[in-house]
This record gives sequence, C-alpha cells and structure tokens, in this order.
Amino acid sequence: MSRLRLFYRLILRPLHREPLRTFLVVLAVALGVAVVLALELAGDAAAGSFRSSIETLTGDADLEVTAIGGVPDEVIGKLATLPYSITVRPRIEDYAVVKATGQTVPLVGLDLIAEHPENLNLDRQNSAKADEIADTANQGVWISQRLGAKAGDKIRLQINDQTNEYLVRGVLKDSGDSGGLVLMDIATAQRALHRLGRVDRVLLKVPSTPSLEEWEQRLRAVLPAGVELRREGSQTDENRRMLSAFRWNLRILSYVALVVGAFLIFNTISVSVVRRRPEIGIVRALGASRSDVLTAFLGEAACFGFIGGLLGILSGRLLASGAVGLLGATVDNLYVSSRPAPIELTPGTILFGLAIGVGMSLASAASPAREASLVAPIEAMARGEREYAARVHKVRDLWIAVVLAVFGAAASLAPAIAGKPFFGYASALLMIAACAFAIPALVSGLTAVSSQLLRRIAGVEAFLASRSLAASLRRTSVLVGALATAIAMTTSVGIMVGSFRQTVQVWMDNQLTADLFLRPAGDPAVDRHPTIDPSLADKIALLPGVAGVDRFRGYEISYQGLPASLGSADTVGAHDLEKIQFLSGRRTSVVNAELRSGANAVVSEPFANKHHVRAGDVITLPLGAAQVPFRVVDIFYDYGSEKGFIVVDRSIMLRYVPDPAPSNLAVYVATGSSVDQVRAEVEKIASGHNLMIFTNRNLRTEAIRIFDRTFAITYALEVVAVTVAIIGIAGALLALVIDRRRELGLLRFLGAAVSQIRKLILVEAGLIGLLANLAGLALGIVLSLLLIFVINKQSFGWTIQFHWPIAVLLSALTLVYVATVLAGFYPARVAARLDPIEVVHEE
Amino acid sequence: MRNKVLAALLLLLFAVSSPAQYQLAVPGYQYQFPRDYFNHPDYRTEWWYYTGNLTSADGHKFGYELTFFREAVSRSQGNNTDWDIQDLYLAHLALSDVSGGHFYHTERFNRSGPGLAGASQPLEKVWNGNWEVQWVNGEQHLEAVAADFALHFVMSSHKPPVVHGKNGVSQKSAGLGHASHYISFTRLLTTGSIDLNGKTHRVEGTSWMDHEFFSHRIDEDQSGWDWLSLQLDDNTELMLYRLRHRDGSVDPFSSGTYVDAKGKSTFLSSTDFTMQAGAETYTSPSTHGVYPIAWRVAIPSLGMDLQIRTALRSQEMAIAGIASLSYWEGAITISGTRSGAASNGVGYLEMTGYARPVDSDRRK
Repeated sequence: MSRLRLFYRLILRPLHREPLRTFLVVLAVALGVAVVLALELAGDAAAGSFRSSIETLTGDADLEVTAIGGVPDEVIGKLATLPYSITVRPRIEDYAVVKATGQTVPLVGLDLIAEHPENLNLDRQNSAKADEIADTANQGVWISQRLGAKAGDKIRLQINDQTNEYLVRGVLKDSGDSGGLVLMDIATAQRALHRLGRVDRVLLKVPSTPSLEEWEQRLRAVLPAGVELRREGSQTDENRRMLSAFRWNLRILSYVALVVGAFLIFNTISVSVVRRRPEIGIVRALGASRSDVLTAFLGEAACFGFIGGLLGILSGRLLASGAVGLLGATVDNLYVSSRPAPIELTPGTILFGLAIGVGMSLASAASPAREASLVAPIEAMARGEREYAARVHKVRDLWIAVVLAVFGAAASLAPAIAGKPFFGYASALLMIAACAFAIPALVSGLTAVSSQLLRRIAGVEAFLASRSLAASLRRTSVLVGALATAIAMTTSVGIMVGSFRQTVQVWMDNQLTADLFLRPAGDPAVDRHPTIDPSLADKIALLPGVAGVDRFRGYEISYQGLPASLGSADTVGAHDLEKIQFLSGRRTSVVNAELRSGANAVVSEPFANKHHVRAGDVITLPLGAAQVPFRVVDIFYDYGSEKGFIVVDRSIMLRYVPDPAPSNLAVYVATGSSVDQVRAEVEKIASGHNLMIFTNRNLRTEAIRIFDRTFAITYALEVVAVTVAIIGIAGALLALVIDRRRELGLLRFLGAAVSQIRKLILVEAGLIGLLANLAGLALGIVLSLLLIFVINKQSFGWTIQFHWPIAVLLSALTLVYVATVLAGFYPARVAARLDPIEVVHEE
Repeated sequence: MRNKVLAALLLLLFAVSSPAQYQLAVPGYQYQFPRDYFNHPDYRTEWWYYTGNLTSADGHKFGYELTFFREAVSRSQGNNTDWDIQDLYLAHLALSDVSGGHFYHTERFNRSGPGLAGASQPLEKVWNGNWEVQWVNGEQHLEAVAADFALHFVMSSHKPPVVHGKNGVSQKSAGLGHASHYISFTRLLTTGSIDLNGKTHRVEGTSWMDHEFFSHRIDEDQSGWDWLSLQLDDNTELMLYRLRHRDGSVDPFSSGTYVDAKGKSTFLSSTDFTMQAGAETYTSPSTHGVYPIAWRVAIPSLGMDLQIRTALRSQEMAIAGIASLSYWEGAITISGTRSGAASNGVGYLEMTGYARPVDSDRRK
C-alpha cells in the first residue's frame, strides 16, 4: 500500500470528516506560533536595533570620544590638528519637544561648516549657508520633513526647560525610518542647551590602516584621562547587551504559549490514534509496515504544524503590529529612547515560524504516533474493543514528577550565566514538566474523592462525568495539563508583576517624602536628563513655606561596557527628610555624611548586582579630565532604572563636571505650610520655564502609570496564552463528544434526557477547568517564586517582595473557569443532538 | 592674485556681509613683519597661498599647492561660544605627481572654533585642521595630511618679502579700496618629504608664498584671470596676472612684479608685458572647462621672451558640485630667452573663470 494512500485513508479522511476539530487544532498551533513570532518580530522592531534614536546623521565613523558631562571643546581642536588623516565630527546630542505636536524628537548639533553636506541628508544646493549658520539673531534649525514645517517657517521648540522660536532654514531629506529630527549648528545647540565649552560626542573616522586597535592606542595617548575613546556604535552594543536579558525573558514567556499548543497537538494525535485503532489494524493486516503507520501519523502532525505555522506567521505579523507599541513602551521606560523600526517579515522569520510549528507538532506527536505504530494487526479483528483505555502509569509518573521537581529546585539555586538566568529557565521548564507528570495522579485522586460527593450535590450526570474523566485518564490529564500550564503562566506572571508593583509602591511611600517634584516638561525617559535653570532652585528655596530644595542631576554613562546612570544629589539641607533605604539598613543621614566627606558613592541594587559591586569596593569613573576612584559606601534599593544608578554628592560632582544645572528638584514644604500655596508660588516663579510640577501623590500615580505601561506586554501575552488554552479545551471537549458517540447514544437510548447529556458534558468541562485551576495555581505559585527570586533577580537585579495580588488572581482564575465551561457549550450541544437510534444502529 | 577664487566660492555659500564694516586696502599701508605674516581681522578676506616645484633625489618631479583662505562672516559680539562664526576658513591642498602623471586635490571648510583653524601671530602659525605652516626661527614648516598623501617641508626664504603694487596696494580696478595688500615670498628654498601611496620621497626645490588681504571684491565686468609665478634659473622671479573682461579683452589693471636676484622688486603695469595663450588646451572632464595650458610671456623692458608649459595637464582644482568655482592651478616649466641668453625655470600657473564666469559682488 502506498504511503500516500495510507496517509489519505488513515489521516485525511477522518480529518475531513471533522473539520471543526481540525480547525481548532490548527488554530491552537497557529496561535502558539503567532505569539512566538509576534514577540520575535516586535522585539526586533522595538528594540532589535537597540539603536538610540539619537544615532542619526552619524555617517560612517569608526570611533567616538565621550566624557561624562561632555567632551571639552579643546579636545576637538587637539584631535583636528593631529597629523593623521582622520575626520573629526563633534556632536551635541539631546532632545527637543516640538511644541505644536508635543512630540519629543532628537536634537543634534553638528559643525555645519565642516560637515560634509552628504552626511547631513542635505542637497549641496540646499546646503547650510555660512551666514545662515552664523546668524545668531535668528537661531536656525534644519528639520526632517516629518515635522511638517518648511524653510522660512518658525518652529517653537522646548529645549530643557525653555521654549524658544527657531527659524527653519532647511528641510532634511527623510531617511525612511527617522521619526523626526532637529538639526542645529553646534554653536546654536551649545547656546540652546547651555552647554558652552562642551560637546556630547566626537565621531572619528580613521584610515583603514593601521588597525583600529592601533588607532585607538594612538588617539588615547593624546586624550585627557577623563575622556573616553571607544568604537562607534558601542552604545548600540551596550544597549543590545543590556536588553538581551529582557528579550530572553520575553522569548521564554512566548515559548510557554507554544508549550500549551504542544499539549493540544499531543492530545489530538493521541485521540486520533485511539479512534483509528481499527483502521490501523486493518492497514497493518493489509501489509502496511510499522514505519508506514508512524510516518502517517507524524505526517498528520506535520500537516497541523505546517498549516498552523502558516496561519501563525500571518497572524504573528498582525499581532506584532500591536505588540511593537507595547514593547516599545517597555524599552523606552526601562532602557533607552528608541524608535521602532519597521516590522520586517524576512524569509528567515517565515522559515523560523514554520520550523517551530512543524517542529513542535512533530515533537508532541512522536509518542502517540509511536504508539499507533505498535498496534498489532490482530487488534483490528477484535471487534468491540473500540474504546482504548490508554495505559497510564500514574504512580510511576508521580515519581517522575517528584524527580523533575527536585532537579528543578536544584537548578533554581544555580547562578546566572553571562547575566542570563539559564538555570532559572531550566528550573521553570522542569517544574512545568513535573506538573504534567503529576497531573494523572491528581486527576484520579481528586475524581475518586469527588465522584460520590458530586453525585450527592449535582446528581447522577455529575457522577458520570467525574467517572468518565477518571476512565479516560490520559486524555483528561493532557487537557488539564494544557490548561494548567496556561493558567500557571498567567498566575506566575500575575504574581510577579503584582509583587513588583506592590514593592515599588512601598518603596515609593518610603522614599518619596518631598512634597513637590519638578522636572522639565516632556515625556520622561530613562536615558534623558533635561535640565532646569540652576537659579530656579535658589529662588524656590527662598519662598516662604519652603523647608528646603534638593537638586538632582542625572548623566548617562557607560560603565564596564554597560549603560548606567550617574547622578549627583544634594546631601545637605532638606535631604535628611528623605528616607532612602539602604541594604545595610543604615540611616540616610549617616550615608549622606559619608558621601559629602569625599570621593564616595552609593549605587543602586541593580547596579551592584550587574557589576558585582559591594559596599567598600572602589569604582573608577572618568570625570572631567581625570579618572576618579569612588568608594562605594552603600547600596540602595531602587526600582526606577534597570541599568542601575551611581549617586555621588553634588558638590563633589561639581568639582569634576562644573555644570550646575539640575535635572530634577524636590521641594520640601515646611510643617504648617500649605502644599497648595507653596505650589502656587513655585508655579509663579517657574513661569517662563517649561516645567512639570508633581505633588507627591501625582508623582506616585505617574510612576505607577509608567509601571503599568512597562508591563503591558506581559499582560497581553497572558491573554494570548489563556486564549490558546481555551481554544484547545473547546477542541478537546468536542473530540471527547465525538469519541463518545456510542456511549452518549447508549445513554440516550437508555432514557437519558437531552438536558442530562448536556449537563454531563458541561460538568466534565467544569471539572477539567477546576482541576486545571488547582494544578495551574500550584504550578503558578512555584513559577512565580522562580520568576521573582531567580529569573528576575538574575536578569535585572531587583529585590522584589513576594506579594499576593489576590484580586488579580481571583478574577483571572474565575475568568478561566468561566471560559472553560463556556467552551463546553458547543460540544454539549453536539452531544445533545446525537440521534440515539442512529448511534445504536451503527452498533 | 587669487581673490576671485575665494570671492566666488564664498558667494555661493552665503550672502555677503556689508564691506562697510571692514577696512579697505588703501595706499600708504605700512607693512610690518612678522605682524603682516599673520591675521588681519579688520579686512574681510585674507589668504596664504603656498605653491612649489620639488624634485626627489631620483628625479621624481612634484608640484604642490596649499592655500589657507579666511573670509570674515560676522564681527558681532555677544554670548559667545567657541563655535561662533567670526570667520570662515577654507583650505585647498593639491599634489601634482608630475612624473607619475597624477593630480591629487582636496579641500576643507572650518570655522576657527576651538583651535580648528586660524592665523595667529602669538602662535606663529597659519592652519586649518592638520594643514599648517608653523614659523620656527624664521623658517616655515609646512605640514599637511590628506587621505592619499602628506607633505612635510621646511622652507627658508632666500629673499625678503616682496610688496606688490604701488604704495602698498595692488589695485584691481578703478576706485579707492578696489585693491589688496599683497606680499610674497618669491623664493622659498624647500626641503622635506612627500608621502604618497605608502612611499616617502625626499624632495627639494623652491616654493612661492602669496599673502593678500583686502575687503573689496571683483568687479562685475571681470570674468576671470590668469596668474603666473615664475622662478627663473638666474635667481630672479616674476609675478604676472591678467584680468579678463567678459568681452574677452584684457583689463588695464592687470599687472605684475619683477624681483631681481638681490630681491629688489619692480612694478610692471599692463602695458609692460603681454601674456598670450597658446593653442594647446586641456578640457576638464568634470567641469568641461577648456583651459589654455601653454602660454607665451613677453616683457620687452626686461628683454624676456618665455614659453610656459606644463608636464601635467590635469591640474584642475575641481570643486565638487560647483563647476564655476573650479580653477586650474598647476606646476609649470619655463623655457625662453632673456636678452638673447637662455632663460629657464619653474613656476605655477592659475587660471580661473574658464569653467564659467566667476560671479561678482553685485551679481549675487
């Protein structure tokens, strides 16, 4: 018998007979593939390039010169006059808010005289003219097309806390994916940003010989100690490194959706094997070999995988469009101001989608297909043996579960590899597997206990439902396993995010003790530190009712190849009111005194974990013209930034980087004074500066809002996983009904009412839901512990306090339960519509 | 006499600030050295122009040009940054590999910025990025690095600086201040090396330096000019320029200077000499300019009759994208007679306005 005919007879015909079921299985595969692919695509688009949006008009530079607080202008003169054929391109880099639209766009200041016009996306004809560049009466800007203004227009831009009008001198040719850009001459930019005497970065292009290393050595030799020379694009590499842990976690989460799909394939193929046992027997008797049968069933799985994979690729592409926004928000909030690239569906991604679809299907079908191949021809002759009770070794499985769980627990104790919690992931997978193996025991145990109870409470149908689940233990276990995995994923992520949220809230309650907070208006971003006029803090401090003003200045730096934030803060004055929580448990005032006393620093917990820094260690920072060693005196809890903070005293910082402008102000209102009154006074003084003033409560709300936005992607993922599971349940129940036509028909023949049949099926659905909820909740809690204390800690370095988000859990579980029961409605209707006469006649 | 190159170049780049705020070049200027080797910020335009003919020990011939231009953009004072633009600095660098038959050229723009470009008496230096001439004990050290080549020369002047024109001004057209202050080192003995394509050539020869500063630009009816610097074997030099009108005629303000072997200079008016283009031309593939590259110079009062030729036709400084600003500037050889005796030498020839008439002040 040809394999093709065999395939048709054994596989295609039955599939064709049950299109809805086939559809549901394909859909489950498709959703699993779609989620993985969507996250992969959206991840690439939102963060894949990991290029900061400021990385524009950079040309083909090889090296870059940076310094905390800016590269002194003299360095550029020095580099430009070196006897080497190198191109020296200084840049001012920041962001501006276009007042008309509220859009925050990169602001780049270049030496428009020296720049080659081709580097600027400007035609030579439209190229910046020297007198336009030199015109200090009209501050000129060159803008990207996207901003909608034309040459000669005025454009209002907020830069730091000041809004001014600029004259559009020219329009840059759009380079496709650029999300808007304001270009200025370097002189205009220095003036607009109050950054006289310094530039943010100097790009260098060096000849191809000698080697880049040699050039680095030569150039480093002439640069002052506080100035850093590194490969251009280092920032991008650092971002990529920083984001890789985040992407890994997302990826793993998406694979859980795939696991759910795998359960369903396994179930479907198992059911097929059971139902087609007689046919298998016949074709075997007719001469088909074992491998023919094996191939046929694997072929079925491959079909599911292929078609589901194709659908998954299409829907993954659609989902990606939605996910890219969510992911973009997460990346922006936690890491770097990036600009989503277009989503690209490459042949590689398509192959990847098909590969995971087919691969997952084949893997999950392997065991049932093998079982099919073992069917002896004689079985076909044994009429009446139509139901096949799969042999389930529930005791043996339980032991396997215990062993897996022990291995899982052991893996959770292992440290991270290269900053990634691979053992944590392994532990989670082992736990999921352990749960899967424990489920048969759980099902049989619980149904044995519950069947009598159910009989009393819900009548004979419930009793039958319970017994039937126990009888087809294997199928029930697979269904429960699939749903439980989805529930566990939802629960664990829910608990993790909820705990995190609660931790942040408690932390803020302790930490944020000031009454008013000021920062320049515009979208906040972790890698931007727009500044406030330095005189403002002094003016506010003199207001009646103000007990003190704390100034904070942030800088983005690179520390040992990873991005980090460096801050300088006031440690005298009102600061003592602030209760920063240190790992040592020491009082803020004690630590502050140490900070003031010299080159000391405190670092945030994520920084300490990432760079293995402990109190007492020395970290060296390039500041101004020197490499300054700072002793780490303590580590503080911080949940604001994943890359980590180093904080030094303001007066110490000013010694090295003499820029007095703060990026944030915290105002303490004197006891007995009204916050509202002080706020009104502050607003009066700050008029003319574009500042946002938050009250303590506003700031917390804002912080939580950002938190929620950051984690929106995880919520979305959970919804998808549960949807996959519910579709799977519907399909499985339908299969259940179709399989049990004979049994259900007999029940009807024996006098069961239509409503009783319906009830029977619904109770089965309900029981499956209940069992899955129980198993899922237990697994979910275990996984959440792994997430919080292993995976998150190792990936990001945060200490999260475990917290039960009861409301979230209850509503999620209820939702899943209701959905499971609802998924039983259609199969129940199908079962109820069976014609008993016809069914019995078939017998 | 290269003011038009710069004038034209700058006109395309920006609308010109009013000349009223700058000092005009008027007769009676008292030169003072070394002060007048360096910057004159009261004048709108200024340049330092080095050209030379050099030969290596194995006979390999080179020519070079290094030009520093300064053009005042703004003199307003205010909340200044290092980057405020007072002047625009342009520089052209060219190497004529005469024996190798190849012409290399490159240009750069800068503002003075944090030490990017300038001409400073305290520093005794004229520079634009890493192209510089540094005075050291009365010698001029020229260093210039380009992608393909690098120049390292030490130059010592055989003669004191020459002041061109009459009464301290070189008049370019009728009218007070339509002139420049113009000085030259007509014979700079040059030794050093040229790095080209990974090979270092030890060279020696003679260079010529022009330094001009003024505030008035080319007149409307002048369409271009031809300029020559000639260094003859008898230790005399000639500078000649011929201003051309749009109608093809020669401007009466064309002039020149003869420097005798002792360094004494004599003014030559347009009636004292003739410059005649020969039939041989070079057509630029990039600008389509047609340049006469063979000339005949006759100065009856000196008994001179000289043939000008070049061994390298393609010495056009083609300015990317702007044909009208391009000019031909190249190493030349001289053969001829002076009072019946053979008179040979080397020099440089500059021709402008062939690719398209050079724009003038009033026609922008």
